[in-house]
Order: sequence, then structure tokens, then C-alpha cells
Amino acid sequence: MSRTVITLGPRQLGLEEPMYFRVQTAGDRVAGLEVLAGQVHRGLEHLTLKRNFYQNITLLERLCSLCSNSHPSTFCTALEELAGMVVPPRAEYLRAVADEIKRIASHLFNCAVVAHIVGEHALFRRVMELRETVQQTKEAIYGNRMDLAANCIGGVRYDLDAGRVGYLKSQLEGLKAPLEELYRVFADDPALAAATVGVGVLTREQAQAFGVVGPVARAAGIDYDVREKSPYGAYDRLSFQVAVQAAGDVRARALVRLVEARQAVSLIEQCLDQLPEGPVALMSFPEIPAGEVIAKSEAPRGELIYYLRTDGTDLPVRLKWRVPSYPNWAALGEMLKGEPVSRIPLIVNSIDPCISCTDR
Amino acid sequence: MHTCKVPPLPKLRLYRINTGSCNGCDVELAATEAITRFGLDRLGLSFTADPTQADLVLITGPLTVSSREKVLAEYAEVPDPKITVLIGVCPISGGAFRDSYAVVAPLDEFVPVDLNIPGCPPRPQAIVAGIAKAVQLWRGGEHPPVSPGPEEGSLTENLRGRMRYRAEACVGCRICQHVCAGGAIRFDEEEAGLGFTLWHNSCLFCGMCSHYCPTGALAPTREWDLAHRQAEKYRQVEKGVVPRIPCSACGVPMLPVVPELMKKGYRALSAETARLQTLCSECRQVRSLEGVKRCTT
Repeated sequence: MSRTVITLGPRQLGLEEPMYFRVQTAGDRVAGLEVLAGQVHRGLEHLTLKRNFYQNITLLERLCSLCSNSHPSTFCTALEELAGMVVPPRAEYLRAVADEIKRIASHLFNCAVVAHIVGEHALFRRVMELRETVQQTKEAIYGNRMDLAANCIGGVRYDLDAGRVGYLKSQLEGLKAPLEELYRVFADDPALAAATVGVGVLTREQAQAFGVVGPVARAAGIDYDVREKSPYGAYDRLSFQVAVQAAGDVRARALVRLVEARQAVSLIEQCLDQLPEGPVALMSFPEIPAGEVIAKSEAPRGELIYYLRTDGTDLPVRLKWRVPSYPNWAALGEMLKGEPVSRIPLIVNSIDPCISCTDR
Repeated sequence: MHTCKVPPLPKLRLYRINTGSCNGCDVELAATEAITRFGLDRLGLSFTADPTQADLVLITGPLTVSSREKVLAEYAEVPDPKITVLIGVCPISGGAFRDSYAVVAPLDEFVPVDLNIPGCPPRPQAIVAGIAKAVQLWRGGEHPPVSPGPEEGSLTENLRGRMRYRAEACVGCRICQHVCAGGAIRFDEEEAGLGFTLWHNSCLFCGMCSHYCPTGALAPTREWDLAHRQAEKYRQVEKGVVPRIPCSACGVPMLPVVPELMKKGYRALSAETARLQTLCSECRQVRSLEGVKRCTT
């Protein structure tokens, strides 16, 4: 059997971002994998130390634009913890609304990409069209389709009046039936099933060994979601069931995301129904004392951890992240082992890798 | 038989290069391509995965040190003549990632650029409007640009577009500059007063400046079509000067105290506060202390 080493780039992998793999093959099968990272390294750790807290809120939103609300909201949570600030309840709910609306858009984008890779072009367009509803909603409420600029230290920078609540509710209503339908397609369509069932399997044991997080972990039967295990913000007042699948394959990951997109609609509705009156943010320029803190949240791709150290000035002394794609792409080697080379793009995209988060 | 007198224009092909972006512009490009109502088709365009077949190159992201070699090699594969379009402020100025050891933006230091489409990220309508201008450049300006189509179902009331500055409301506190992550805002001491400059090609359209501005001197407009020729790159600025006025007591030049600030500082405005408004900070202190003396004696 012939053994060769090939290098695959974003064009071959069907990725939006530059990521390269060195793949060892045995015949037409994958025998080993090395991730060649760093193309999107922008020196973020260095940059954050040169920017004050206010500039960092905007910079961190651009660490990755698919989970762009998770970064600034987790960063602000860390600062508020250090300053001993209690965020107004209305702001906690509005943060959850922003996080969940981003989750829907992020998950739908991944489902569209998966449909595209398996050759279901009509489905790809359908998912992208559905996602447009979310994009339009974000633009109408926050002023931009990707970067919401929703957070500030002490709360949020936007409010929802009765008119916007009504608009948001009607947009969410329009998502429900298509999201249910999409779940049925990914669950039952024979062509999709042929391409995704039993493909790129990560067993529960492997998932635990690699410490994978987010939909990749939950698709392998691991019942772990930060929103439920250690609720932050408004999540202790919202109800949802952690989406878990058992198969650990490409389809299971897609189904977890589609369940979560549907749940996100419900979570936003719960927020709107419970939305307490009151201010949306505390004072503008709090004093941030010296100290160190860890904050975490459930980003669309899984558990996102922030470590922050401060010295009493308004520049961080150290800011470090553990982003969900990091453990997840380490497990790609297991998912790809023995798979045909032609399936690499599908399996790689099934973990919804965020290169800009990981390379940063 | 129906005959067409004017032969259809050849379809132009677009090629995308990501130099290390946060993927915002790329995801929006994917949406621009997938959603027909944005109207790329109407411009006679299609995307190609083969650089040697391309006419227009669309570039996103701040050029990173580690991607530089690959990006420049990929760019060189696109045959000349070609039109180069930068999407988002990252390739234009470095955007949020300026001054990093790992970033070598702006891209025009490495390749000849024709058109810039600022934004962070620009909305698909802005991308299409910009590409329409690029098509016009390619076709020698003989064909008018096609409008990017109607904005079905989108509400633009809150849109964060080009920032607008009102010098008459500015108190020169410079908090906007302090919170600006793009380094887009500059204050200069000028003969005429305090000069303000905001460069739209470095602006991240995050609205932090307007959020923290105490007097509403800065606010986002809904203007989103900011695409411009490369020659216009450094003229994409919002400028203003706050003229200094003499203190009514000592004559020292000072920045005027705007009504927005007075309303924040005093519970009620009166003849006395109107008088304080014309005084420099030192004279105002003296005057206020006199008031205290009057009250205590």
C-alpha cells in the first residue's frame, strides 16, 4: 500500500480561513495528521496589552467574528468580577439575547457549509437564506450584521423598547418552522445520512481523553454546557435542556447545532418575556483594581475561558484565552484516522473550527 | 428571429484571498455570493477557485507575517491586468490589528490596489456596491454601475455607518480617542483651535466613541456605501475644528463650554450659569469661590 504525505490548504478543505494540514496517507485513507497553524496569528495577546480595557472590548470582538459577542461579554464579565460590580438584571438578559442570536447565525453557517461540502447546493442556499433572517435581525437591532457592539463594562450598550421586542419576536417566530424542518432534513434525508452517518466518529472515551468541548463533545454523549453547569448572567433563570447526541459522527454534530439553534430561539423568547425593567449598564468608567480573574462562557463552539490579570491601571497585564477550537482540532486526528482522504473537508468542517480564535 | 445587436459582456471572475482575517468579511462575502438578491449576478460576476482564471481579486484581513509569502504568491498567480479590491478596513489600514509584530498591513505596501471598501465588516450591499465600482474600472467606465438592488426586509434605522462629528457640541475631552480601538481619531492643536480628525479607513464602526461621548458630538450615520478609489484613500476623513474663544474675564483662549455639558453640570441653567459658561476654568473657580464666600458670610 502506498504511503505518501500531502499538504491540504483552505482551497482543498473548503474553509473560509487559511488553515493547512499535512496528511499522511495509506492508500486512499488518512493515516496521520499534523495541523500547520499560525496563518491567522495577529499577535492578539501582545495587542491586548497595548490597548486599554475600552479599546479591548472592540478589539476582542474582532478576535473572531463568528463568536464575536462571546469574547467581549466574557471579557466584560471578568472586569466586572474584578471591580466587584453587580451588573443590572436587564443587562444580563440583554447579553444573553446577543449571545443566543449569534449562536443561531454561527450554527446555521456551519450547517450551510456542511451541506455545501456534501454537494447539497440547494440545501446550502436554503440554510444561507434562513440565516439571512438572523443577519437582518442583528443589523436592525445592533447596527451591524456580524459585530454587535452590544457590551460595555457594567452592562450593555443597547436597549430594546416595545417596538424592538415586537420586531425581534416576529423574526424569531419566522425561524421556528424552518429550523424544525432543517432538523428533519439533517436527521432523515437519505442522501445526507449516507454522507454523514458513521463518518468522522469521535467516541465518548476519545472525546473525554481529548477534553473536547461544545457541540463536538455533546455529539459524543458528553452532557456539558457552561450555561447549564456553571450558569452566568441570566442563564440561571432560563430553562433549556443540554442538546446531547450519542453517535459522535458528522451528523450528530450537525443535529446538536440545529437543536441548539432552535433552543436559542426559545432562550431569547424567555429573555424577552422575563426582561426586567431598569438600567442597562452601571457607571461608565469604573475603577478596575489590581487582581486576577477567570471568566468563562459557552460560545457557539464550546467553553470559552478568559484569564485576566490587572495592576490597577486601565491596561491589562496579562490576558489569555482557552478557546473551544483548540481542544477540538487536536481531536481531528482521531476523527480522521482511517477515513478516505476525500472526506477530510467534511470532517474538518464538522467540528466548525475557528482558526482566527485559535491562531489569534 | 430575435437577434441581439449588442453582444453580452463577458462574465468577470472574482477570486478571494484571506490574509488572516477574523472571518467577518469572509462570512459576509459567502453570504453575498449565496444570496441572489444582493445582485452579484446582475453585475455579470461569478466566483472562481482558480486564481489563473480571475479578473478581480478581493482581499480580506490584515496581512499577517506568517501568511505573507503564501498570499503574495497566490496574488501573483492572478494574471495581469487585474483589479484589486480590499474589503474591510484590515487590508486597507490594519484596522484593529495595527502595530502588532505579527501584522504587516496595510496591503498597498505590497500590491497595487485599485479600490477600497471600508467597514468592519461592510454589509453585503456595501460589498456589492464596491464591486460594481470595480467592474466599472475594469470596463473603462463605459458602463454605468448597476445598483446593488433593493434592501428587502432590512431595517437600517440603527445602522452603524460613517461617523459624523459636530465641532459645535465637542468639549475636547478626548474620551473618543481614548476608547477608539482602531486608532482612527486624532486631535491636533491648530491655529484656529482644537482640530479633530477621524479616518474612516481605520474606523471599526463599533460606535464606542459615540457611546462614551458626553455631549453627543459624535454619532454614527446610516451612510454605508463608502467604497472609493485608492487615490482617495487618505481623503476619507471626518474633520472639524473647535475654535477657541477668549475668557470673558481674563481673555485667555479657551474651548467653549457647550450647552450639552452645562445641562450635565448644573441642575438648572440660570443667568449665573450662563455667566460661568463664558469663563475659563481658573476664572470659573475664582467666581465660584466668591459665591461660596457670599453664602457663608
